[in-house]
Amino acid sequence: MADPQNAEAKPKPAAAPPAAPKAPASMAATPWEDELTRRLAEQYPDQITEFSTYLGQSFLVAKPAAVVSIVEFLKLEADFDYLADLTAVDYPKRSERFDLVYILYSFARNERIRIKTRIADGEKIESVVGVHLTANWLEREVYDMFGIEFANHPDLKRILMPDGWEGHPLRKDYGILQMDNRWVKENLGIESGQ
Amino acid sequence: MRRFLRTVFLIDLIEGLWVTFRTQHPRNICTDQYPRERPKIAERFRGAPRLNNHPETGETLCIACNLCAIACPEALIVVSSERNEKTKRKELTDFTYDLSRCMFCGLCEDACPVDALELTQDFEIASYTRDGLIWDRKMLEEGPRPARYKF
Amino acid sequence: MAQTFLDSTELVLNMGPQHPSTHGVLRVILKLDGEKVTGTECVVGYLHRGVEKIAENRTYAQFAPYVDRMDYVASVSNGLGYCLAVEKLLNVEAPPRAQVVRVILTELNRIASHLIWLGTHALDLGAITPLFYVMREREDILNIYEKYCGARLTTHAFRIGGLQYDLYDGFEEEVKRFCDIIGPRVDEYEELLTGNRIWIARLTNVGVLNAEDCKAYGVTGPLLRAAGVKWDLRKAQPYSGYQHYDFEIPTRANGDSYDRYIVRVQEMRQAVRIVRQALDRIEPGPIMAKVAKVIKPPVGEAYVSIEAPKGELGYFVVSDGSTQPYRVRVRPPSFINLQAVDRMARGSLIADVCAIIGTIDIVLGEVDR
Repeated sequence: MADPQNAEAKPKPAAAPPAAPKAPASMAATPWEDELTRRLAEQYPDQITEFSTYLGQSFLVAKPAAVVSIVEFLKLEADFDYLADLTAVDYPKRSERFDLVYILYSFARNERIRIKTRIADGEKIESVVGVHLTANWLEREVYDMFGIEFANHPDLKRILMPDGWEGHPLRKDYGILQMDNRWVKENLGIESGQ
Repeated sequence: MRRFLRTVFLIDLIEGLWVTFRTQHPRNICTDQYPRERPKIAERFRGAPRLNNHPETGETLCIACNLCAIACPEALIVVSSERNEKTKRKELTDFTYDLSRCMFCGLCEDACPVDALELTQDFEIASYTRDGLIWDRKMLEEGPRPARYKF
Repeated sequence: MAQTFLDSTELVLNMGPQHPSTHGVLRVILKLDGEKVTGTECVVGYLHRGVEKIAENRTYAQFAPYVDRMDYVASVSNGLGYCLAVEKLLNVEAPPRAQVVRVILTELNRIASHLIWLGTHALDLGAITPLFYVMREREDILNIYEKYCGARLTTHAFRIGGLQYDLYDGFEEEVKRFCDIIGPRVDEYEELLTGNRIWIARLTNVGVLNAEDCKAYGVTGPLLRAAGVKWDLRKAQPYSGYQHYDFEIPTRANGDSYDRYIVRVQEMRQAVRIVRQALDRIEPGPIMAKVAKVIKPPVGEAYVSIEAPKGELGYFVVSDGSTQPYRVRVRPPSFINLQAVDRMARGSLIADVCAIIGTIDIVLGEVDR
């Protein structure tokens, strides 16, 4: 029972082991090159800025304007016919604040790739609902949680949070105890949900 | 034709009812007569927390290292201690455990290096007030005392 | 739509959030023409707890108990997915003994989840009896969990890098005994339901989703297999040593609710098969890989997905090199499968909507996170 395998508590500083070599500040990814990347690079010479592999998982970084076209190309030409997930990561210190991540899978190739793109706060990105229907709710969730707007989305509104809610909870500047006090007061009749 | 006969003679219904009647035997009834009978709780069950005392000396085993409080995902443990000038050791003064927020994940007892904090098999921890779920050191050492009913 | 002589207007009906057959707090707004559904809209989020936000404010190990609370009928699968994702980031692998135990517990969990699905789905359609029987069998599984890790539902059974608890004495016998009884019990359910004419009438050609639709909507799990796609992550991209087990992927062709029922029942049988093989593979050894006490993965990101009872359960974890995850994204199978309800329900009768929601096997804790 006393096995502290998982205690994340640090022992007292005196007992701490010598500091491990400092981990690199960026992802130690290696270049990704195969037949698919060649075709993509040929098709989108200026739009894709990076092909990389990290931990055996391949991803590419593209410019936001080209994402829909790349997703469509991958679906039609390379059998990536299943959009497993679409999500975002917030880096508030960067000028292009959000990373949008599209995780694609191909049943025929049994392969998974990620498409990442960077967009700034307030910038709109084209919706991929026209290519993958599943993106409908996923984009709504990204909009709900991060406030990223998708152009030409059939029904862009909040999905998990209530409609009148202010703020986007998964942004890094949204506190974990923060809430929309006005909404809580109006709809629940209490001062605070805490 | 076969399907027609099955339909006419309600074969599928009879098959289903046969399963039902098969399990009607009284020995298949397994209602627990709680609280008359205490349920058997698994040894590893994570229930009410307890702060263990040394069985012989009666002194607390807790060394006030605060590891449990750091391990807790809900940060519901508060350990207060003061340094004993003579022995230069930290001594436990109070230990607060907010059961109302506890999800019994067991990370605190995993973190405890001296087996002082333990989640026991006690499961009767309901309280009439919210404050009643915030346990202090005395409560943690003695454990919950649920009402015992006489029959 | 055929014109009726009555001057019929479209009726909007609100189903849920408090409705027994929405399996939680799901609200479905139905557009009706008489009894025919002409459109649906799901309103979700009533159970939103911000699990992804919580993850960003907890250390890696501290977040592990929270994932159990998403899909609470398959909490062990959730825990496995999360542990695998963080292990991937740390680039460690659980030792063989831990992997085998993980397989046993997740397969038992698959059976438990499918049992609950079967019971509630049958209950939705008016068959009350199976619910009691499946609860009886599930109780055996939960007892095994309670003895193994101390909790029945939100188990927190696995830790990053392996297991916290070693097997208790008599674990193997108990699981073996369960494997012996569950086969005949599944036969019993089939006796009750498979040939039952009400069951067949309520499920055949209800909620049809063909393979193309499944892929377009990202629908995975038994729904996809019922549509004839032989795809299971345990085979396609094996994790936790699934490549060593001999099992089949049950598939059906029509992609209707009845096929999904058959697929899930077959999956239970396959799960028993895997558990039996896994029991033979238990070997002595360590249960925990070498993982530092303070889990601090290098900067990077990884997407790891497993075949949860409901479909592909993915975790996308981004690390910034600190003790807390920078971002944890959960790809919940229920959420994404639920999206297809509109396609399935359109044109069907209102009574079928309960069957369709039931056949997807959603857990609202996972839909809303």
